[in-house]
Amino acid sequence: MNFLNSLQKLKITVFISLALIAVPTVQASSHSGPELEIAGNNISNQASLRHGAELFGKKCMTCHSVKYMRYNRIAKDLGWTNEEVLKAMGKTKNRAVDTLKGGMSDSVAKMVFHTKIPDLSLMARLKGPDYIYSFLRGFEVNKETGKMDNKFLPGTKMPNIMPRPKDEAGMAKYNEDTRDLVNFLEYVSEPSKLQRHALGWKVLLFLFIMFIFAYLLKREYWKDIKH
Amino acid sequence: MSIEIHEVNVTRRKVLTAATGVMGAAGATFLAVPFVSSWQPNERAKAAGAPVDVDISKMKPGQMLTIAWRGKPIWVVRRTPEMLAMLPKLNDDVKDPFSNSSKQPAYAKNEFRSTKAEYFVVIGICTHLGCSPLYRPAVGSDDMVKNWRGGFFCPCHGSSFDLAGRVFPDVPAPTNLVVPPYNYLSATSIRIGENPKAGKA
Amino acid sequence: MSNETKSNPSGLLSWLDHRYPLISTWNHHIGQYYAPKNFNFWYFFGALALLVLVNQFVTGIWLTMSYKPDALEAFNSVEYIMRDVNWGWLIRYLHSTGASAFFIVVYLHMMRGLLYGSYKEPRELVWIIGMLLFFVLMAEAFMGYLLPWGQMSYWGAQVIISLFGAIPVIGPDLATWVKGDYVISDVTLNRFFALHVIALPIVLIILVFMHIVALHQVGSNNPDGVEIKKYKNEKGLPLDGITFHPYYSVKDSMGVVFFMFFFAVVVFYMPDGGGYFLEAPNFEPANPLKTPAHIAPVWYFTPFYAILRAIPDKLMGVMAMGASIGILFTMPWLDRCKVKSIRYRGVSYKVLLAMFVVSFVVLGWSGTQPATPETTKLARIFTATYFLFFIILPYTSAREKTKPVPERLT
Repeated sequence: MNFLNSLQKLKITVFISLALIAVPTVQASSHSGPELEIAGNNISNQASLRHGAELFGKKCMTCHSVKYMRYNRIAKDLGWTNEEVLKAMGKTKNRAVDTLKGGMSDSVAKMVFHTKIPDLSLMARLKGPDYIYSFLRGFEVNKETGKMDNKFLPGTKMPNIMPRPKDEAGMAKYNEDTRDLVNFLEYVSEPSKLQRHALGWKVLLFLFIMFIFAYLLKREYWKDIKH
Repeated sequence: MSIEIHEVNVTRRKVLTAATGVMGAAGATFLAVPFVSSWQPNERAKAAGAPVDVDISKMKPGQMLTIAWRGKPIWVVRRTPEMLAMLPKLNDDVKDPFSNSSKQPAYAKNEFRSTKAEYFVVIGICTHLGCSPLYRPAVGSDDMVKNWRGGFFCPCHGSSFDLAGRVFPDVPAPTNLVVPPYNYLSATSIRIGENPKAGKA
Repeated sequence: MSNETKSNPSGLLSWLDHRYPLISTWNHHIGQYYAPKNFNFWYFFGALALLVLVNQFVTGIWLTMSYKPDALEAFNSVEYIMRDVNWGWLIRYLHSTGASAFFIVVYLHMMRGLLYGSYKEPRELVWIIGMLLFFVLMAEAFMGYLLPWGQMSYWGAQVIISLFGAIPVIGPDLATWVKGDYVISDVTLNRFFALHVIALPIVLIILVFMHIVALHQVGSNNPDGVEIKKYKNEKGLPLDGITFHPYYSVKDSMGVVFFMFFFAVVVFYMPDGGGYFLEAPNFEPANPLKTPAHIAPVWYFTPFYAILRAIPDKLMGVMAMGASIGILFTMPWLDRCKVKSIRYRGVSYKVLLAMFVVSFVVLGWSGTQPATPETTKLARIFTATYFLFFIILPYTSAREKTKPVPERLT
């Protein structure tokens, strides 16, 4: 009986696990258009995140903000001191407690680009890292208009900030730069992700051990019951 | 009844109950941690409580500036030589002349309770129940008691302090006014809320 | 078990018990509550629903400490919780995952009722109160989903509130009244917040209390669908019953830990639930001037939403959707078979129930998909089979060829 019980439990466990895994995931982007490139970034790669932060501070923040993020949080998560993060991102005039404000105000943006500049705090959760990766790399000359355009977001006002290099040697750096930038954007979209991955397995381990005790206790008491 | 009369291993049952109970209690404690610590000042509060810089270049002798730091009034008083001369004379009259039982950074635990004697930096909150005292620097101020020797007076419950924030006896306030951490960025600028960097005064 | 009478309590307990029915309440609902001894896997979900309810209450209270029900600040305050508030991310994910877990657990709990005939005499009221709970829970979840004030929050609420507009004569005015404005606005957000955190939780607590009281009045059903009260010993205690405590308290504790394990997997490793629990478009602040390309309600509403979409007429669609939930209330009378448990019921019920479950799942899936001619066709077929279950059931159940039901629990 006990054996049967455990077998049944095993079946249930396997069933639930499979169900969890097999649930088809909704594409982060309801994207239609050319097929996306896979970013292949990894937010647990601290070197990549640091590199991404540097690029983001020096290139993207000329215009873009990440208004929900503070420099000192980046410092803490990426293993920098408060001074180091400001230096790395080229923002030594800011305080570490400040949020990441873009260099261009809304009114200037309206004059120059005739649009608002999107805040990038949640872009990776909204569109998915692969979309951002493809978008960054998706600039090309439109054959009809002869102008530079983006094949993933035609008509975008954003300039091609990271032009695709012509030679092989430049390509490796280009791949790395775009990937690390996307990695950083995924990180800022949910900074707690690093913590929850670090904490999660400990919680699961605790619950697993606790389940063993709860199971033994149940079995002990249920010895009383005649079937 | 479907419950069988059989030998129950009481010890095993007790041990398992205790073990599961202990784990449950431990789990509940772990679970309480996020909920309890979410009440602690968070990053936004800490950002708002970041150090504040004060420009003291335009202060006249005897003048007091009030600045908000972490939502509290911080006073900066530029004391005159007469005021400073008065302070040692009060040593026998105040409750805690050497601030042994009061709160201040080590660099402000001296007879003037400040880094530079001329500038007195203090949290303007009475140590009794948190009102903000009045600044009455003149000896014998009109609206003060007779023999007023200059200092701070708390209107809520009548505590009085000298110009180094030292509490007089026989008033409700238990200790001297609290001195916050601060340091001199330059001769004319004080940063409130941050200790001096090691090696600098 | 020797039914030892509790020795007279002493001290504080005695003092309390003289003034408050502490011991008798404990005994009536836990210590001396006799439950059938043969509960299986399906019988965990009631306790788990209670667990999730508690989780929602505690995390919800904590979220209100940092959330701002203000159209300009709501979205920001959620990100503030996610980033600045200490452990805010965990508390928020416990709440958002809890919402989906609530429906998973409740759907399985209801499925148990359908499998073992738990809605039948004498438990009709237990079922009806349970259905009311389900209905209020849907309202609670719907209003809670507006609070993050993202694009999905906004447009989902827009669509659902527009349903009221389909009601003849008073519809449009009613929709405006619910919103308190001509569009969903700050006013709507504020009142949904009030309902979500105060009014509906109170209703939920009262209904849960009534659900349990009603259950303990008639006693629990079981997988055999046999009344344990029929055979009692000389002390008047059911022969096939065992006390809730310690037997089911230890068993449910085990189930709770088991459940928490999978709950933690989601909270820590997939809080988005693959895009179903937290939908990607909701990471963009609500914009009344721009509808997202594809909007779908959260997964737990999609079966009913699919029925709404399947009907090519606004009023009829709303009515069909309402009926799909409302008809469940009448289950105790639609099912006329005297045998409770599916173990001893005829083939017809097994086939019908299978058809119903398949319809529900397929409708749920199609509701998450964009409306294409194929998904619409699929939704129509399974809307038909969904209702067919309730239409055929009264006829077949009255004529069902059942197996002999055992006298006692097996």
